Amino acid sequence: MENTVYINDQHVEFTSGETILSLLRRQKIGIPTLCDAPNIKPFGSCRVCSVDVALEKDGPSKVQASCHTPVTSGSYVYTHSDRIKKLRKNIVELVLTDYPKERFAADSPKKNSIAWITQEVGIGMADVRYESGETHFNNKPDDSHPYMRANMDACINCYRCIRACDEVQGEMVLTMEGRGFDSKVVIGQNEGFSESECVSCGACSQACPTGAITDVFNSKFNDATEKTRTICTYCGVGCNLKVATKNNEVISITAPYDAEVNGGHTCLKGRYAFKFYNHPERLRSPLIKKDGEFVEASWDEAYDLIATKLSEIKESHGANAIAGISSSRCTNEENYLMQKFMRAVVGTNNIDGCARVCHSPTALGMQRAFGTGAATNSVEDINHTNCMLVIGANPTSAHPVTGAKMKQAAMKGTTLIVVDPRETVLARYANYHLQLRPGTNVALLNMMLYYIIEEGLMDLEFIGSRTEGFDDFQNQILAINIDAMESVTGVKKSLVRDAAIAYASASNAMSFHGLGVTEHSQGTFTVQLIANLAMITGNIGRKGVGVNPLRGQNNVQGAADMGVQPHQGAGYLDFTNPEIHDLYQNYYGVDLPNDVGLKIPEMFDAALDGKLKAMWIMGEDVAQTDPNITKLRKSINNLDFLVVQELFMTETAELADVILPGASFLEKSGTFTNGERRVQRVNRAVPPIEGTKPDGQIVIDMMNRMGYSQPDYAPDTMLEEISQIVPFFKGITWENLAINGKQWPVAEGGVDTKIIHTEEFKIGKGQFAHFDWRESEELETNASEFPYIITTNRDLEHYNCGAMTRRTGNVDIVTEDVLLINIEDAQSNGIADGDMICVTSARGKVDIKAKISDAVKPGVMSTTFHFPEIMVNLLTSDVHDSEAKCPEYKVVAAKIRKSKGEVREVVG
Amino acid sequence: MSENLRALSNRKGLDKNLFEQLVDRSKGEGTPSNEVLKSLAHEYLMGEAITYGVSSFYDFLKEEHRGVKVHVCNGSACLLAGTQDSLKEKLVDNFEENQISHMCCLGRCHENSAFNYGAKNYSGKDIDQLSGIIDSKVNSLKDSYTVGSQLDQPVLTGNPMSAEDFVQAFKQLNSKGADQVLSELKASNIRGRGGAGFPMGFKIESCKNIEADQKYIVCNADEGDPGAYSDRYLLEHQPMLVLFGMMTSGFIAGANKGVLYIRGEYPEAIEIVTNAIKELEAIGMHGANIVGTDFEFKFKVIEGAGAYVCGEETALLSSVEGQRPEVRVRPPYPTQEGLFGKPTIVNNVETLASIPWILKNGGSAYASLGTDKSTGTKLICLDSFFINPGVYEVEMGIPFKEVIYEIGGGFKQAVKAVHVGGPLGGIVPISEIENLNLDFESFQNGGFLLGHAGIVSIPERFPMIDYLEHLFQFTADESCGKCYPCRIGSVRGREMITNSKNGDSKIDKELLDDLLETMEVGSLCALGGGLPLGVRNALQYFKDELNQHIKQE
Repeated sequence: MENTVYINDQHVEFTSGETILSLLRRQKIGIPTLCDAPNIKPFGSCRVCSVDVALEKDGPSKVQASCHTPVTSGSYVYTHSDRIKKLRKNIVELVLTDYPKERFAADSPKKNSIAWITQEVGIGMADVRYESGETHFNNKPDDSHPYMRANMDACINCYRCIRACDEVQGEMVLTMEGRGFDSKVVIGQNEGFSESECVSCGACSQACPTGAITDVFNSKFNDATEKTRTICTYCGVGCNLKVATKNNEVISITAPYDAEVNGGHTCLKGRYAFKFYNHPERLRSPLIKKDGEFVEASWDEAYDLIATKLSEIKESHGANAIAGISSSRCTNEENYLMQKFMRAVVGTNNIDGCARVCHSPTALGMQRAFGTGAATNSVEDINHTNCMLVIGANPTSAHPVTGAKMKQAAMKGTTLIVVDPRETVLARYANYHLQLRPGTNVALLNMMLYYIIEEGLMDLEFIGSRTEGFDDFQNQILAINIDAMESVTGVKKSLVRDAAIAYASASNAMSFHGLGVTEHSQGTFTVQLIANLAMITGNIGRKGVGVNPLRGQNNVQGAADMGVQPHQGAGYLDFTNPEIHDLYQNYYGVDLPNDVGLKIPEMFDAALDGKLKAMWIMGEDVAQTDPNITKLRKSINNLDFLVVQELFMTETAELADVILPGASFLEKSGTFTNGERRVQRVNRAVPPIEGTKPDGQIVIDMMNRMGYSQPDYAPDTMLEEISQIVPFFKGITWENLAINGKQWPVAEGGVDTKIIHTEEFKIGKGQFAHFDWRESEELETNASEFPYIITTNRDLEHYNCGAMTRRTGNVDIVTEDVLLINIEDAQSNGIADGDMICVTSARGKVDIKAKISDAVKPGVMSTTFHFPEIMVNLLTSDVHDSEAKCPEYKVVAAKIRKSKGEVREVVG
Repeated sequence: MSENLRALSNRKGLDKNLFEQLVDRSKGEGTPSNEVLKSLAHEYLMGEAITYGVSSFYDFLKEEHRGVKVHVCNGSACLLAGTQDSLKEKLVDNFEENQISHMCCLGRCHENSAFNYGAKNYSGKDIDQLSGIIDSKVNSLKDSYTVGSQLDQPVLTGNPMSAEDFVQAFKQLNSKGADQVLSELKASNIRGRGGAGFPMGFKIESCKNIEADQKYIVCNADEGDPGAYSDRYLLEHQPMLVLFGMMTSGFIAGANKGVLYIRGEYPEAIEIVTNAIKELEAIGMHGANIVGTDFEFKFKVIEGAGAYVCGEETALLSSVEGQRPEVRVRPPYPTQEGLFGKPTIVNNVETLASIPWILKNGGSAYASLGTDKSTGTKLICLDSFFINPGVYEVEMGIPFKEVIYEIGGGFKQAVKAVHVGGPLGGIVPISEIENLNLDFESFQNGGFLLGHAGIVSIPERFPMIDYLEHLFQFTADESCGKCYPCRIGSVRGREMITNSKNGDSKIDKELLDDLLETMEVGSLCALGGGLPLGVRNALQYFKDELNQHIKQE
């Protein structure tokens, strides 16, 4: 009799602890509800889901709300007894007394819960027996915000918006005001969306059953005719999106509830920032620069010119005078094609991607320590960990859905350690915020490792059985000068010690890191030290632990997986090994180069030296986002020939000889791989904008044009090709990826892997390595003249160069880059909030608006580089990570003064 | 109930309690400013909307309360006594209209004319000294009422327990040990006096049996039922009984923190209990190592801010957590997941105050009082319509007519019904009094409710339709607003009655019956679920009087 219940006298098994409603839904018994929603907890306000429950057959029954009442074993549940049907109808009747009549007449039962539920329970507006009384109509609609909309006349007080804002996003922008019949949903302190703390994630809009809260796209209630499930193009979280279209035009985006990655949630970039795709400024024709002016050309013209030019250069200077930069915004298939094009058609290994300027140290550092350059665990492990260590990452802005999950866990009590020079949102919730001076990650992590050893908190069993090099490492760590490191980092050693103890004593501790780790001269070393922390405490190989880089772009993991690296081919295989080289040659059917190619910074150095003659850049705006722009522009101008594949006339496209108009993620199919190694299907929602082509097709066209036969672009056949050469894609097919994708490695038969290194590391034993902290060359050279440190970061509202987000409503929310400056530094330089500041580094100067903030300590400032008008990368330096060549965006020596007001011209 | 808000609030917990901060910051101007609410939200890492939404819930924190100086009681007893109109007229001479607001039941039902000014309550003839009260020249006014008991050894109304008695009692508790005391409590079969009548022993035991790093004992001193002032009596005159009951519960269940949630309408009770705790502190009966044992117990007084629904235990817990006191779903029950998510025993003042007697005299002695199912004694409160108004301790099960006509001495004027157990209790017509005994079962079987046993008299002259309007209005005013049947139903019910009174339209009986059933079976808690009982009693027993308001087929 255990776990047996009778539903309408039918014998049914239930799962321990489940609610009656959940069981009824599994039994496909329709129960009307208003306050229930898939990604928020049962609440019990509408009572429409009530059922009759008796403890024995024909015994006395009690009305219980099925949404929050657990099933009682042996009980008898009646879902449609006369009294229940009457109760539901009577409750809905009460709701209708306070629901606008004209709205009701217009509502569609397919979209609006009120229209639906009245049908379900069998009542209409005309059946309402109460005389008209007090109502909540005639509210002033809130249209103050670029995206969010509210018209509370239709609000039915189901709390779904409030609960979504709290339980899903964790922002708590919405509340009930007042009590009883007078209670009403208000935004902020009843001030409207634009004045509130709203982060425009749209969770409330998706949760609202009536459209009282909605958005400019009226996402849930518009007249879309088709919906396509795809993957967001913005960050490495990999949110699943449901794209609503009509007449081949995208009209809104929502988040599917059954998505494992984002469970019905996403951020304002994924949900609302899509209007760039058919923006008037989209490039709609190939362009060829003639006498300094771009003129429209046919695809054939453009392809011919490119083929001729590349062949000429290859002829006269060799294939290595040509280089390609692929795009992490593009699909796996497109990245695979781009590297294949450079290697098999052009004949060079000069292929790199934007991972170089973001997570290359992660890939390298983790390969050195573990053998695999990818997250060891899954994001959902946040729900299973006892301690989160977040280093150099601001996920609530840069990875909003993951950030929201972390914030949710931290609020509920999961220990949180934040290592960041800035007081990020997460830092406010942290138990330990180690607010270090930029550029001292190595020093700080060494301190943590020191204290873990000193306190004897190592997992000796794990160290003994799974790792190598610990003894030497231990000796070196114990020899560090802890007091010197305290003064170097500017973080009290007692605080570091407490944090180290918290991390090491947690039964499961999980680390996350971002560009605040990698974009440093000691980036790779820092990654290796993070790996040391995990190994020394045995936090590897099970749920809720591991080393988890928060990958930047939607497909930065995938681009590297596909071989967009100058030293490894598709699948990270070392082509300098003759056997591997043969494997690739056989597979591609041509002779391939076996010399290691140029990394991005080396490409630009080579261009400046005149050794590199031509470049093909697919979907990356290096002239805005790479460091030391002045020098970079000189390098590019020194090229003989530049091809740029782009959506818009970016800073980089302006410098091109030929521009090829590519297509956005909404216009093509393929796969993206998110930061937890999850390969997910990208499905075309609309055809490519007229005059453009999917980037993969462009590359294929060129491959064929240059004599290599490659079939037309199709995701299933491309995946088939990839799965035969990339070992960890072996079991992947377009079909078996289904809706939630698979986490690599995927074995034959499609079995995927949520956690890697469970039994042993990819390289056998994990490798300990010690590194002494070194001051950045930038500061050693320039700190005396440029006393402040500027560190760069990202806003929630904009994505990297901003080419896409600046062409959406997001630009109405954040309109410019600003410089965060501590009040002390502002006062000592006579700067007030909102003043323009002239910032100078050893490379250049920019004028930027000051925003006084206590998120940064005195001596440290921070800014973003989303806007070309400011061009913050005129300031950043050439210093790179010593190992992976990732630029040091995070440490810029600078001096400031109040600006005289002149506006800087963008240097051409 | 938000898990996030609960956890964020718990970061400062009871020491720097968010709700207490809100109440403290309302003291000057009558409500915290939006700026203060924002800074508190930032301090507690919550959204700015949160503290705003919370404060807007409470009568004494909401924006409309800004500048209010004096509160007129609008509880049932004062309404029925008809004293408040003339009281208000006198107040209007001294205060601006917007400086006068309401409090629902100051517990001065024995003499009415109740009002609150300057954190003190006044009643009876006090209003005649209003100018002296305002000038602070009169500050020794205290209400007095008869306190009576039929028992040789009263459980609740004997000589007050002193601090020294408290120490002795604790020594006895310690020597008996938790297990034995628990079995005494179970043997006493004492049931919760707040209204629900749940056996206290089981509640303590189930909390005891849950492993947790922290547990709480909460005293529900939010005696909001108009007509009841027995808890006020205990808090003001027998505070040590209540405190000892809490400490004993903590001793048994393994809880080291006790929260007294006392309604803001009882300022004197708050002061007296706070002083009693100080007295205990002074003799080492508060905090760590009580009487040299390793037992630790700390009390915390939390002052309510004007919300009847906080008497509902889950709403009360949310209130202490600084959340909007909206009723939570159950399970989980407070003993599983209570205050700040920890196992918590919530008991009424009177229930807790009975514990010292049980400890001293034994569970079976207690069980021998009263009836089999309703053991022990009960405090009853009689309003000013009685010849002998006051608080009386009676043995459970005595004939109700004895309470009304012997103890109460009958009525000063013609009364047609008594409303027993607060606004959610039953309306007992005079004719039914003789059929009832004062215990849970008899009232339930008779179609009424003993509840907390406050007794409010409805005089002949007072139209029953007005009283029903008052009950619906009370529910509409005090509904937390979470569940639909109560939030919308209470207002629609009130409108039906008002329309019929105004002659706009008569009551559709079928619709009213549907509404009452919807509220009764559909509501989330006893507020919406309890109102229909009294209304149905009135419809049954006062059919002739009410018929004129009902649409005839």
